[in-house]
Amino acid sequence: MRHTLFLALLWVALLPTVLPAQSEVAAEPIVGLRENPVAGFAFVNAEVVVAPGQMITDATVLVEGTSITAVGQQLAIPEGYQEIDCEGKRIYPGLIDAWSEIDVTVNESPPGYWNGNVTPQMRAVSSIARVPDAAKLRSQGITARLVAPKGGIVKGSSCLMLTGEESAGRSLLLEDAWQHLQLTVPRGGSRAKYPNSPMGAVALLRQSFYDAAWYEDAWNAYTATPELDRPDKNVALQALSEAIKTGTFLIDAPNERMAIRADDLAREFSLQTILRGSGREYRQLDEIVATNRPLLVPVDFPDTPDVKTADAARDVTLQELMHWELAPENPGRLVRAGVKICLTTDGLDDVGQFLKQVRVAVERGLDEDEALAAVTVVPAELLGVESEVGRIEPGMVANLTITDGNLFAETTKVAECWVAGKRFVIDGNPQTEFPELAGNWEFAVRHPSVRNMRLLLELEGSDGKLNGAVRSGESAPKPVKAKQRKKEKNKQKDIDKVAASKLRDVVQQRDRFTANFDLREIDERLPDGISQLTIITMQSDDEDATLVASLKLPGGETQNLLMVRSDDDQESDQAVVSTTKVGKQDQSEESSLATADPQGAVIDTDQPPETYSEVRFPFGAFGASSRIAGQTTVLFRNATVWTCDEAGKLENADVLIRDGLIAKIGSDIKPPADCQVIDASGKHITPGLIDCHSHMGTDGGVNESGQAVTSEVRIGDFIDNSDIQIYRQLAGGLTTSNILHGSANPIGGQNQVIKLRWSETMDGLKMKEAPQGIKFALGENVKRNQSRYPNTRMGVEQIIRDQLLAAREYQAKWRRWKNGQHDTLPPRVDLQLQALSEVQNGTRWIHCHSYRQDEIMATLDVLDEFGIQIGTLQHILEGYKVADRMAQHGAMGSSFSDWWAYKFEVFDAIPYNGALMHDRGVVVSFNSDDRELARHLNTEAAKATKYGGVPEIEALKFVTLNPAKQLRIDEYVGSLRVGKHADIVVWSGRPLSTLTRCEQTWIDGRRYFDLEGDKELQSRDRKVRARLVQKALNSKRGAKKKTPEEISEEDRWVRHDVHCAAHGSHEYDYTENLQK
Amino acid sequence: MRGCTHIETFFFTKSRLLAVACMLVLMLADGYAHDQVPGAPQSRPIVIRNATIHVIDGPNVEQGDVLFERGKIKAIGQALEAPKKAIEIDATGKHLYPGLIEAMTDLGLREISAVEETVDRTEYGDRNPNARSWVAVNPDSELIPVARAGGVLTVMTAPRGRFVRGQTAVINLDGWTVREMKLKAPAGLYIDWGAMHPGGSASQDQRKRREQKLAELDDLLDSVRRYQQAREARPEVTPTDVRLESMVPMVEGDLPVFVEADRQTEIESAVAYGQAQGLSIVIYGGYDAEHCAALLKRYDVPVIIASTYRLPLRRDESYDTAYTLPERLRAAGVKFAIGGEGAGSPGGAANARNLPYHAAVAVAYGLPHAEGLRAVTLSAAEILGVADRVGSISVGKDASLILADGDILETETNVIAAFIQGRAVDLGSRHKTLYEKYKLKYSRSEKQTR
Repeated sequence: MRHTLFLALLWVALLPTVLPAQSEVAAEPIVGLRENPVAGFAFVNAEVVVAPGQMITDATVLVEGTSITAVGQQLAIPEGYQEIDCEGKRIYPGLIDAWSEIDVTVNESPPGYWNGNVTPQMRAVSSIARVPDAAKLRSQGITARLVAPKGGIVKGSSCLMLTGEESAGRSLLLEDAWQHLQLTVPRGGSRAKYPNSPMGAVALLRQSFYDAAWYEDAWNAYTATPELDRPDKNVALQALSEAIKTGTFLIDAPNERMAIRADDLAREFSLQTILRGSGREYRQLDEIVATNRPLLVPVDFPDTPDVKTADAARDVTLQELMHWELAPENPGRLVRAGVKICLTTDGLDDVGQFLKQVRVAVERGLDEDEALAAVTVVPAELLGVESEVGRIEPGMVANLTITDGNLFAETTKVAECWVAGKRFVIDGNPQTEFPELAGNWEFAVRHPSVRNMRLLLELEGSDGKLNGAVRSGESAPKPVKAKQRKKEKNKQKDIDKVAASKLRDVVQQRDRFTANFDLREIDERLPDGISQLTIITMQSDDEDATLVASLKLPGGETQNLLMVRSDDDQESDQAVVSTTKVGKQDQSEESSLATADPQGAVIDTDQPPETYSEVRFPFGAFGASSRIAGQTTVLFRNATVWTCDEAGKLENADVLIRDGLIAKIGSDIKPPADCQVIDASGKHITPGLIDCHSHMGTDGGVNESGQAVTSEVRIGDFIDNSDIQIYRQLAGGLTTSNILHGSANPIGGQNQVIKLRWSETMDGLKMKEAPQGIKFALGENVKRNQSRYPNTRMGVEQIIRDQLLAAREYQAKWRRWKNGQHDTLPPRVDLQLQALSEVQNGTRWIHCHSYRQDEIMATLDVLDEFGIQIGTLQHILEGYKVADRMAQHGAMGSSFSDWWAYKFEVFDAIPYNGALMHDRGVVVSFNSDDRELARHLNTEAAKATKYGGVPEIEALKFVTLNPAKQLRIDEYVGSLRVGKHADIVVWSGRPLSTLTRCEQTWIDGRRYFDLEGDKELQSRDRKVRARLVQKALNSKRGAKKKTPEEISEEDRWVRHDVHCAAHGSHEYDYTENLQK
Repeated sequence: MRGCTHIETFFFTKSRLLAVACMLVLMLADGYAHDQVPGAPQSRPIVIRNATIHVIDGPNVEQGDVLFERGKIKAIGQALEAPKKAIEIDATGKHLYPGLIEAMTDLGLREISAVEETVDRTEYGDRNPNARSWVAVNPDSELIPVARAGGVLTVMTAPRGRFVRGQTAVINLDGWTVREMKLKAPAGLYIDWGAMHPGGSASQDQRKRREQKLAELDDLLDSVRRYQQAREARPEVTPTDVRLESMVPMVEGDLPVFVEADRQTEIESAVAYGQAQGLSIVIYGGYDAEHCAALLKRYDVPVIIASTYRLPLRRDESYDTAYTLPERLRAAGVKFAIGGEGAGSPGGAANARNLPYHAAVAVAYGLPHAEGLRAVTLSAAEILGVADRVGSISVGKDASLILADGDILETETNVIAAFIQGRAVDLGSRHKTLYEKYKLKYSRSEKQTR
């Protein structure tokens, strides 16, 4: 496509140029005299990159006013045009930075959404007149920049601005470019209000999308039937519903998981979506590619981790080290995988570092044309302004970036930036060309006493900043080159010893050089006093300029001088110099320093190619090199097999697994072909353990505590497949875990049952067979908030009852509507009540945090009223007091084995609880609710034997079959039975023994943990760590940023229930301390 | 059945001991929650017969007997001759251990963690060398009988807080008042070295913070020394200072300083500081101790490992780092005990009864079984400075013993009798009481339904 475009473009270029007449571009009246300079420019002799991958050499670009009028070779230059010689220069389309954000002031007046985080009506264009940091952006060749509103969850719309210095009207390229969303809570805001967790943010987004759709339907219905109630006006819903229909959404993705979640949300609501990436996309490349979404990609590659001391090095994670090494490859990897990307200044402390960072990405594998596309045509196209910016083509806005070479080469400098036909010379210095005067010049001064005396003018320094001396030229000194400055300085001392006069009052201007010195200091026969030297450089069309010099002696006499360069390499006797641009030398040196490889590694082509870390699943230590796959057939032989089923405990038994399922259990099973045989003599085999209450593996905040009822939030939106606790718990024999919302509110969020398939995707962790659930909570935690209902157990009972009633009525309303009774406005989708309707319908199970017997009784009574059977009572520490009532309802209990006394409502908690409930026929499980205890569930189960004498076979079921029953997944897991999932743990001894350790953990017939494999991972990680620490130590860029790193998105959220005081009893939490 | 059900089921198999059993029952508790009665002083010699005796400071004595009298162990052996009027207890198939020692806890100082009014563990400010844990120990705490029923007979109770936390005490878990419970008070001074390591900041900040905190400590110790000199030289004109006064024994090296430190730099800094100041240092925490084992060994600094149910401190560390720490320290020749509250042992003082399982995890991950036992008995006693009294079954030591129906490191094992200084102690607890109460509820309702 690009190719045909190029041909068309050439065609246009070769036509005789048609000049547009000058137009009025503003309605504003002119005060005073009109000014009408000819605003035509001809850039000649340039290499013009008209679009990525398309360069015309010896080309001319014509610009008239704000627009490009012609591009091509041998164009006729219209009269009056200013010619700009671009010999040796390259002209690129002006770059586009598709990201920046500003605070947008809230307009209080129009009626908006009930939640202040949803402000689609907010417009960046209303709060910005000029792009901040414009000069710096132009120094990077950036001529247009997106400006987005900051804050909120539906943040509002961005606009595209030119980076010139014109009025807002002229600078505004596009208003309402994209609608901006984020899946988390804005930083720095209050954590008291809803939503205060990422889960809540996503739920709010969903609800507001439904509300926007409803708003439109409601108004349509009202317009059609004005007799109906008139819906409230709402500018937010109006704006959102328009954006859904025609707009493009940009969703922040502050880590790789957020990118995938953003895509999920976009799919759910069929949103045209672009993702704002984090630079970590390479970690889950396949999934990111599969989203098929364009990505804004930052180039704020990480600084060298602090490994200066052994202690500091120990605290640096392999994730940090590997990211430091691999992050610069992110843009290249994305592009090679076919992702459409824009490179942006997002995250850069200094936007002046943009090109430098882009070049790092290019060096690390990003194709140059793709890099250019990522800052020109791609953003232009995504913003829908591809006919205005992004290429050099007649009719486009005259945004040009002029460089002295390849934009992606290390030392290339942006010389000029043209924004809508306005010229900006980079670095703020006037575009002055100085004659290159540095070096030695011979001339003769005439004076009666000496007749002709040869003198030597020695100039050092770079152009514009020259200095030096005049000395006797009778004994010609060795010539000094400008480059040999250091030596020269030493020589200066020698010169001082010989008769010489230092130059003073040196002034160099574009066309003249003047300096003063004292002839008497050189030779006592020469006149005393200050002589004034003037050298005038005569510029011509030729490459070289001619010098015309004169000396005004102290007596007032002026002599013309013939200046002859006396440098060795100067063959010409003529006093000529070539012109150079000011500061070129300095700048190129500066930029070569600045573009040093961020790792500080010296790029030496003779060296063998550097090794880089492999991407792991998940990223960092203990990650698998590839997804753990393969459905092997495995036979475990001669083990003591605890089936947790009717078969009981089998000695010397075999277990055959095939296709991820248990194929056979018995003795002397013949191994089928291609079967891996594992000798498990002396070992014990149990079903994979199941934790019915956990908060690990989620980075969505655990609690959405902003409201008393949050049934709309979902843990499942925020599964963190990189959580190291998954691996650690696998090593404790855990295979399935119920990730629950916390206990902050009477009706909390929806839980997610996961299998601990380490290395899998977020979605791959979810146990698809598990039915949906929801967390309820009673007692101290939920009544604690004095500023909202409820404050007592009385209120807790009422709010649950009221919500269930509301859900019932909600369903009735919808039933009515769906039956065609449209005599009202259409009903609104209410995600909160929808979840509760599912509870009512038996498709969503309640897992209710509960302690005291009174609240247990009250809740069961309410549920009985609605005919709802409870999924589980969680904690249920006084379950032993009402086990008969539980049994009557059919309530199962998932308890701690022996926690108590961490708060008042658990002062009657006893370790016999499990046994007492079990003895009354209640299905009992022991859970962890703790990342450490989840690694010891087998011995937690043994406490049922210790306290109350539950037989060992039944006790083991407390952490296998019983939690499976409670989660309604016992059809698939929880016992070793033919046809169930091959979730298997091999133990070194009796599974209930404290002296036993887990040796292998299998899920779906795949080995996810074993002692040997763990050792291999550790030795692999040690090697990688050692290499990376060395690399970091050798890195030239060792210093960390002065400003502390912003805490990363996933580390903003705890991984336990802060409302559970059991954890509050710790003065500190070791792992939390490390999470900066 | 009140109070005695928990001992009915075990060891009195021989009819000739029935009378003894009844007597013991009377000696033991006769009540419900907060009604456990302290044991009466030992009035008659007791012989425990035919048990597997884990003496700790030597090889086990199989089918052995232990005789104790007036609170002290008199003899260990096989087929011991019993003195007249001795109570004989047949413990065939049972295991006898010294009482377990929890080397670092706030047991007695807190009742319900979340109810501030019931918690007395952290004094105001960050310089509390004079705060004395034992004066605030509540002998009627419901948590104490629960710990005791798990076999924990002796604990070191320590205050918490920032930096200089206060003085610790070793107490036995039985007595009408703390006076009878005290075994050693003060047992040492407790300082949080971790306060010098602000988490996650740059190494330079950490150095600065550490220097600042060390300087504060220097000042404090210097003040103590000068105070001591001045008080000795001119007591009448030197006003008293309870903070400084309290630190004199530590400065003189008579009592250890317990230093909470997990990271290598903290541990090294504490050891070096102790050496420079002539303090006798004990490390509590010790997560990174293996990395400075040579130093710890050379200066004979012991470590109280802060529990084994503990997550790795750093993401990249092996999943079992905390589980293998005891074995790694043993292999490196560092003296250690296991105790205290870790991140993964919710409840802390409330679940001090789980102490043997912390040792068991270490055994599962490599520590020899006998060393696991030692880590929660004799090693703890040695480190706390009470090895002359408790920690092993040795002649002359206190008869602080537990009798268990199995390997004490195994979860299913229950303690069936315990003696502190020869006193048979009540193994009842709030938990057992409530258990009995609700068993009663259900047995009644069963009768009704029949």
